[in-house]
Parts: sequence; structure tokens; C-alpha cells
Amino acid sequence: MFHRGNEQEEKIEQTILEKYNSYYRMAMSFVHNEEDAADIVQEGAYKAIKNSNSLKHIEYAETWVYRIMMNEIYKRLNAKKAKSIDAGDFIDLKVEDKYENIDLMRALDSIPDNDKAVIQLKYFEDLKLDEIAYILGENLSTVKSRLYRGLKKLRCKMDDLDMKGDD
Amino acid sequence: MPNNDDKILKLLKEQYEKPMMSDKDICKMKQRMEKGKEEKRLLSKKRSYMRLAIAAAAVLAILILPNISSAVAHAMENIPVLGGFFKVITFRDYHYEDERNIADVVIPEISTEGSTDNSSTDAGKKTADEINAEIREIANKWIEEFKSNMENEGYHNIMIDSEVIATTEDYFTLKLICFWAAGSGYEENHFYTIDLNTGKKVELADLFKEGSDYRRIISENIKKQMREQMAADDSIKYWIDNEEYPEWNFNEITDETSFYINGNGEIVICFNEGEVAPAYVGTVEFTIPKDVVADILK
Repeated sequence: MFHRGNEQEEKIEQTILEKYNSYYRMAMSFVHNEEDAADIVQEGAYKAIKNSNSLKHIEYAETWVYRIMMNEIYKRLNAKKAKSIDAGDFIDLKVEDKYENIDLMRALDSIPDNDKAVIQLKYFEDLKLDEIAYILGENLSTVKSRLYRGLKKLRCKMDDLDMKGDD
Repeated sequence: MPNNDDKILKLLKEQYEKPMMSDKDICKMKQRMEKGKEEKRLLSKKRSYMRLAIAAAAVLAILILPNISSAVAHAMENIPVLGGFFKVITFRDYHYEDERNIADVVIPEISTEGSTDNSSTDAGKKTADEINAEIREIANKWIEEFKSNMENEGYHNIMIDSEVIATTEDYFTLKLICFWAAGSGYEENHFYTIDLNTGKKVELADLFKEGSDYRRIISENIKKQMREQMAADDSIKYWIDNEEYPEWNFNEITDETSFYINGNGEIVICFNEGEVAPAYVGTVEFTIPKDVVADILK
């Protein structure tokens, strides 16, 4: 049934080996914990290779792997949130060691997960909007509105920060 | 304003790009990828072997039937026999693919055709019919769900496959694997074990002496294993000893809990996603050491 098994597997392997730091950064920006982020990338890489037969169009390998990674991130995030619902703040404080400018990253964190993902994929990972739509499993217009809404919120947050800085 | 956006985003990007995966974690990732390759090969090897066996049996039947006695043809039919008189064939394939959706479903069927008649094969046929009906019901449910989801936005991908796992002389176990790759990803396994001596489907209770407290004894051992694993590795998490959400904690197995008997004759208890551990952990299995149940086994 699937004769192209190895070609797909090779392409996916190559993609992961080139991009693992991108996945890791994306994961870090959501889970704020090195251990969880590494676990997400490792698990995503395993699943991508194991299911490489189900990649039907080899030219979509990059977005396909991204999609698996995003699913892993959301899965972990949901599990974490469920666990710490009463604990209030589930942002791991270890994050402060990793980013020099914590206020900036906090501003990004204040945006809803899906909007944040769109901004990061678009501006930090240089992906196209239709690719992002595929990765997040949403349609293009939803992604566009997430982008504009996210940017607007980010702008407001940054203005707040600037004012504090000036005073 | 757009210029200001650029500045903000540039600053953010610099911060965003700071984290780097450690060499240790990269190494672990590569190991996981090798594991993925290995498991993929195993799965496709099994699948192609199964198809080959079915095709070979069909070809032989066509070639031989016209001029050889029915007894020989009969023997030929038994080529892909798995575990005595039970063999697994493909009942139905369902494949669908478009831009966003993929279904790769192979519905297995336990066949007893060609076996000689006696009381245990009669029982075996009845058992096979019951299991086949259950498998079809599950598969149809998944396919219906897939079809209704196809109309929604997003990408949907289901896979159903099966595997014969029992290797003992006494038991035959078919594992039905259902995998939903869209959204958060979800895997569900079903196990069907048949006693090859009686032809009957084996329930967990059948393995133990009447009145024995097997559910508690097995559950205590599972809890012990959970605690040991969690103590040895911080990244392992089971729903146990959680004081905040005691209602999530694993308490006791039920008669519906899945199991099979491995090649060493040990009972293996299987849980689906989210049953005893966070969903991201996937399906989990616990092998119950023989000495734990030695006193209560039949």
C-alpha cells in the first residue's frame, strides 16, 4: 500500500535534525520548562518517524512535523493546566533564567495560546499563513484574525511596559 | 505603528531564540527516533506478512482445488494458521484520502474455517463470531466518527490495525489498535484472548480460583510498580497518591480492564490513554510477576 515509506521517513528525519531547536523554542515558550520542552520534542520526533507512512505529500514534511510538535505542546499544556488548576500560577519560575528580558516574554505569554502560536510561527519561524493554518488545523481566515488580534494585544501590553519604563 | 511592531517583534525574537536544546536531550531525541523507526518496521512487516499469507493461500486454493482431493486443499488452507485453528484474515479494508483527511483502516477477522469439527472448535467458532462482531462494531464507530469529523475544519487521520500477540500454547490474543492522529492524538487498544483448549474467550476472572481476590492483588502490584517507576524517574507520572485530585487516582482494576498473557505466561494488564496516567503518556502496560498471583491462579 505504501511504497514510499523510506523516502518519507528520510525526509522527516532530515527535517527533524535540521529544525529541532525551532520545535524546542516553540515548546519552551509554552511550557516554560526545559525538561518538558525536551520531552515534547523527543516524543514528537518519535511519533513523526513512527507514523511517517501517513505523510502523503512529501513536500509538506516540514509543516507536517510542526503540526505533530504543536499537538504535543498542547497535549502537555492541557495536562499541566489540569494538574495545577488550583495552584494558580502555573508558569514555572525557571523561565527567568532562560530569557534575559522577562517582561517582554511575559507580554507574549499574556496572549491566548493559539494567537501566540500564530505570531511565533509567522514572525519567529518565518512560516506562511497557509502553512500555519495547516499546522494549527484551522482555516486561513481564523489564522489571520488570530494574527491581528494577537498583534493588537501585544502592542497594548508593550505600551504599558514602555510607560512604566519612562516613569 | 507598523515600525513599532517591527521593533517589538525583533526584540521578542531575540528573546524567543535564546533557549537551545542540550546535547543530552538531542541525543535522547535521536534515540527516540530510532525507536520510532524500529516500531514502524515491525508494524509494516507484520502487515505485509499478513497480506502475503492471505494472498498466498488464495493463490494456492485456486491452483490446487480443481485437481487435488479436498483433504489436501483443506491442509493448504491452513497455511496462515496462527495459534492452532484460529487464523486472522482481513475482513474489510477502508481507505480514504483527500487533502485534509486520511483513513487507513484494516479490520481483522478471526477465522476458524477449515478446522475439523469437534466440541471445542464449535465453541471456538462461536467465540470468533462474537469477537468479530465486537471488532466490527468498534471499527464502524471509528469510521462513522471519522466521516462526521471530515466535514469539520481541520485535519483528520485514523488508523486501525491489528496484531496477534499471544505466543503461548494455550492462548491466542488479538490486539486491535485504533489510532486517531488528529487533534491531540489518541490511541485505544482492545485485547481479545481465546483459550486454545476450550475455544472460549478468556476473561480475567477465568484465570483465577473462584472467590480469590485477584482484582485487589493485581491492583496492589500495579500500584507498587507505579510508585517504583515514579521514584526512579521524575518524568514518569501516574495517577496515584495525588492528594489534590484523589478522584483521579488509580484504585482497582475491573473485570473490563484489558489484559493479555505474554510469551512467558505472565499476565499483562493494559490501560488506555488517560486511564491511569496523563493522556500524553499514551497507553500503558504492567506485567504482573508470576509469584504475585501464583497462589490464586487456577
